[in-house]
This record gives sequence, C-alpha cells and structure tokens, in this order.
Amino acid sequence: MDRTCHMGALFVISSLRTIFILTGLLFTMTTQASAAVKSEIVCVQCHGSQTGRFAKPVELWRGSIHAENGINCNHCHGGDPGDAENAMSPARGFLGTPVETGIPGFCGRCHVGVLKDYLGSKHGKNLGKGGPTCITCHGSHQVKKTTIELINEKNCSRCHSYEKPSQIKRAMTATEAKIVYIDSRLSDFKGKGIDTSAMEKSLFAVRNRFHTLFHELNVARINLQTAEIDKELEQQLQSIKRLDETEQKRKLVGVMAIASALLAALVLRLYVKSMD
Amino acid sequence: MSLYKNIDNWLDVRLGTHSLIEKELTGYLLPRNINAWYSLGSVLLFIFSLQIVTGILLLIYYVPDADKAFASVTMIMNRVPFGWLVRMCHVVGSNMMVLILLFHMLSVLFMGSYKSPRELNWLSGFILFNLVMAISLTGYLLPWSQLSYWATTVATNSVGAIPFIGSYLVEFLRGGKLVGPPTLGRFFALHVAVIPITIAAFVGIHLVLLQRIGVSTPPFGLKETKSNWRGDTFRYEEHPGGIPFFPNYLLQDMTSIMLYLALFFAVLFFDPYLFLPKDAFIPADPFLTPAHIKPEWYFLPNYQTLKLFPSEFLGLAVQGAAMTFLALLPFIDRGTEKHPLKRPLFMACSIGGILLWIGLAIWGHFS
Repeated sequence: MDRTCHMGALFVISSLRTIFILTGLLFTMTTQASAAVKSEIVCVQCHGSQTGRFAKPVELWRGSIHAENGINCNHCHGGDPGDAENAMSPARGFLGTPVETGIPGFCGRCHVGVLKDYLGSKHGKNLGKGGPTCITCHGSHQVKKTTIELINEKNCSRCHSYEKPSQIKRAMTATEAKIVYIDSRLSDFKGKGIDTSAMEKSLFAVRNRFHTLFHELNVARINLQTAEIDKELEQQLQSIKRLDETEQKRKLVGVMAIASALLAALVLRLYVKSMD
Repeated sequence: MSLYKNIDNWLDVRLGTHSLIEKELTGYLLPRNINAWYSLGSVLLFIFSLQIVTGILLLIYYVPDADKAFASVTMIMNRVPFGWLVRMCHVVGSNMMVLILLFHMLSVLFMGSYKSPRELNWLSGFILFNLVMAISLTGYLLPWSQLSYWATTVATNSVGAIPFIGSYLVEFLRGGKLVGPPTLGRFFALHVAVIPITIAAFVGIHLVLLQRIGVSTPPFGLKETKSNWRGDTFRYEEHPGGIPFFPNYLLQDMTSIMLYLALFFAVLFFDPYLFLPKDAFIPADPFLTPAHIKPEWYFLPNYQTLKLFPSEFLGLAVQGAAMTFLALLPFIDRGTEKHPLKRPLFMACSIGGILLWIGLAIWGHFS
C-alpha cells in the first residue's frame, strides 16, 4: 500500500513541475496519498486482532482459495459483516459452526455439484458413521484450490489403505498435468492481452467435470471419463498451439522488419558518404 | 515541357516554390561538423507523427466509457485486423518517445546548445518534455485496466497535497470524489485533444525558434569552442560553407529514423510487454488494490526518491527544486564555453546526475 501511495505522488510530479517552475509555489503540506482501499469486514477486523484459537480461522482463511476469490467469513457463516455489534446475531442470519453431519450441506450451498458427487460416493455414504466430511480432506478455513495432490498417502491412510487411492491418482495424473499446463499457458496469454475468456470458460467446465471424479472411487469409470476429458483438452492444446504459431509468425515478421530498417539505414549511410 | 515541369512552373509562379526550396532546403546550410545527435529532433517528430496516426486508428474502435473501455481495447487487440499491432505501436511508441526525448535533451546539454541565445528553445523543449509525461499519464487510464485505475487513483490523490486548492483540484480532475466514469471522460479529452494540440503548438514554437536563431554549432572538432555572441542584438547563426539540409542532412535524419525503427521493431515484436505488466490486462476493479504496482520506468527515480525522504513533502520539494534548476539552466549557466571537456564542473554534475538517475531507477525497480 505504501508503495502504491508513493507511486501516486510521483505520477503527479510531472504535472506539478510546471507549477513549481512558473509560480515557485512552496508546499507547506505533506502529501497524504492514500488509495481508496476496501476496508476489511468486521469479522476479520475483530478476530484478526485477537490471539489464539479465535484468531486462527482468519490466519488460515487469508491463505485460502476463498480469500483469493473474495469469499469472506459471512458468505459461509452468515451474519452482518458491516456491523460489529450484530455481526454474530442469528437475527442477521448468523449460522455459526455446523455440526459434523451438517458440514457437507454447509459447503454444498455453493458447491452444489460437488455435494451431489460426495453424497453419492462411498465417503458420503459413511457420513456420520466415521466417514470423512469435506473438511477432513480440504480443511475448514485454509481451503486450497483442488488438485490431484490432495490424494496422497498421508491424507488417505488416516482412514484406509493407500492402495486404491494410488490407482485412482495414477489414472488421473496425466489429465491433471494437462489441465495445469493449459491453465498456466492461458494465464501467460492473458498477460499478453490475448482474449482467453472463451478458453478459460471451457477449461473451467472441463476442470469441474474432472474434479467430480475426485469423489469417484470406481477406477474403470474414472479411466473412461478421463479419456473423454482428454479429448476436450486436446482441442484446447490445439488452440494453444495455434496461438504459439501466431506468436512465431509475428516474430518472423519482426525479424524482417528489423532487417529492412537496418538495411535501409546502411544504404542511406553509404549514400551520404558518397556525397561527401 | 513535361508534366512535372509544368506543375513545377505553375506552383513557382504562384507560390515562389523555387526560392522557398532554396531558402529552407537546399540553401539552408548546417555546420560542417554537425553530428548524428542533431537528428534526434527529427526522430522525435517521426515518433510523434506515428503516435498521432496510431492514436487515430485506435479511436475508431476505442469506446471512452468505463463499462466498455476495457472490452473495446480487448477487441482491438484480438478481433480488429492488425489491431494488436496498432495498439502495441502506440504503447511502445509512447515509451520510446520519452527515451529519445531524454537522449535529445542530453545531447543539447552536453553540446551546450541550450546556452544563450537559445534559452527559449530550451524552455520550449523542457515544456514539451513535461507535456509528453502528461500525455503518457493520461493515456495510462484509457484502457480502464487495474493498472490504469489504481495508477490514476493514487496520482489524482496526490494532487490533494497542493495547498488551498488541492482538494478542489482532485475533485475537478476526477469529476467526482472517486476515480470513475467522469475521470475517464476528462482524461480522454486531455489525451486525445488538449495535450496533443498543446504539444503540436509547442513543437511549432520550438521549430520557429530554431529557424529564427539558426542551428547551433557543435563544439567538437573546432579550435574555438566558445560562443562569441554578446547578446546585444539579434543574430541568426549562419554557417557559410556548411552542408545543405536537403538532401545531405535529410538523409542523415532518415538514417537515424531507420535505426530508430530497427530498435522500435525489436521491442515491438520481441518484448512489447516490457512496458505492460499483467495488471494492464485485468479489467479495473475499484474494490481490489493490486499488490505490486510500480510506475513506468521513467518515473522510477522519482518513486525511489520519495521513499528515501522521511516526508513526502521533502521528496517533492527536492525533485521540484531539481526540475526548476534544470528548466532555468540557460539562465544560470552563463558561461560561453560549449565543449563538455572544457566544462569540468558541468561534466561532473551531469554525469553524477545521470548515474544517480539510473541508480535510483534500478533501485526503484528492485525495491
């Protein structure tokens, strides 16, 4: 923030210079260049200033995919994020912390498709009978972007053997790698002003379909659906290839343009020399 | 008589073109020891023209509306045939214009061309330098990206530091309390009309002054490098036996323009993103401040200077004083010696100043 404020001051210096020169104006005030920043919600203000277990959720949430996407405390827990006194009032929709069997429904208000996948899986069928809930694997506040790395021996072997999860992981790894690669390339292209919105939407849909397999425990079905997803990803890879080719063509034109300019400069220089 | 000769004769009878060409082109003599640095002015004119052409082409598709600006720029970059080329030419060109302008100013400084009687040339050039900075700043907002939005927010905030009128000025610039659609309208008008017209006017003044006073003699390769003009009467600096502007020096100008184009194409086709961070391609979001936003390279020394001083006022005052000194240099440096090697104090100060500027820019970039 401090850097941003300072940057603002220097941007204006160029326009102030003329004023300095023409009027010799002496500044008597210091610049208070503070950018308009959205203030934090009261939940974060209050819990963030505490220590111990009350502060922990805020600390964990700050590093989560939820925080990254602007999903705040009230989006899950309800309440009034703008009124400190009534922030946790049930009258303002505060839900508090769900009981164990209520957790899938709690998360499933937003992740509707995932809830359906989970409830249909062996994991979901064992809800309340020792089976895992969403937070067992995903965490409660430091929710991370879902990747295949969530399937690992440390996580899975807390409840059962790692043999079957390792088969599932093997079946999905190559597809996951393609998705990560495409995502990274799209981010690069986006950073160059290329309109990737259609491809991003398509990848979002494919990735969501792929992630539904994360709750699927039937390896044969995973293989079948992964093959279909791979076909769609192949189309995206072809689009990326075309974009790469366009970039290469532009560079080739660039080489020719540079060479032409240099050649013209050389010819002109020789012509000038011949006139001396 | 050929058609060409007929037209030539027809124009000469009505406009006196032969004598005009003789006076302004073939008979316009330049010092024999003139060097390539003198062609940077022509390079700058070429860049400014290119900026006007690409700017007009961008205007065909650009929509100066906060809801549509970003989408229109995205469309230019992706759907308009060669739109990416036009836009990137405009972006790279604006940065190159600042770079070449700095070199032009340095060459004038080192060759003592700013010295009396050319105080007004220097002042008009200095104002042009500030106008180029202003047109770059106003152009920054137009794509309505995260970079645009936040750069403008903090820039307009800083105007509030001006005593008495600061808060009114902020609101006037923004067209409201916060940066929003009215700000875009104001900056658009400044960028495409007010500042370009002012630049064109000052370019005209700069050239008229040059034409009236004459081209200065470079101090290199001469025994006598002091100016012998006493300042008592007007004097046009003639160069008898010099080289004609046309075709000789015009060819040098064209050579320099071609060399510039080679550099321009290298940046344009191989790394145009040198001047565009990723935030430049994310639509403006008034509720999300980007984490690491840095100014353009030519503002980095100012940025770092402000961080070095305990108060922003001091940082601003020091920079203001430095710029005022630079603007008034021809009135302060009254010595007649033009050769840089015979001006040890000037050499020490200018080289020290350049190194300091570069050092602060590097520091600002990595800080």
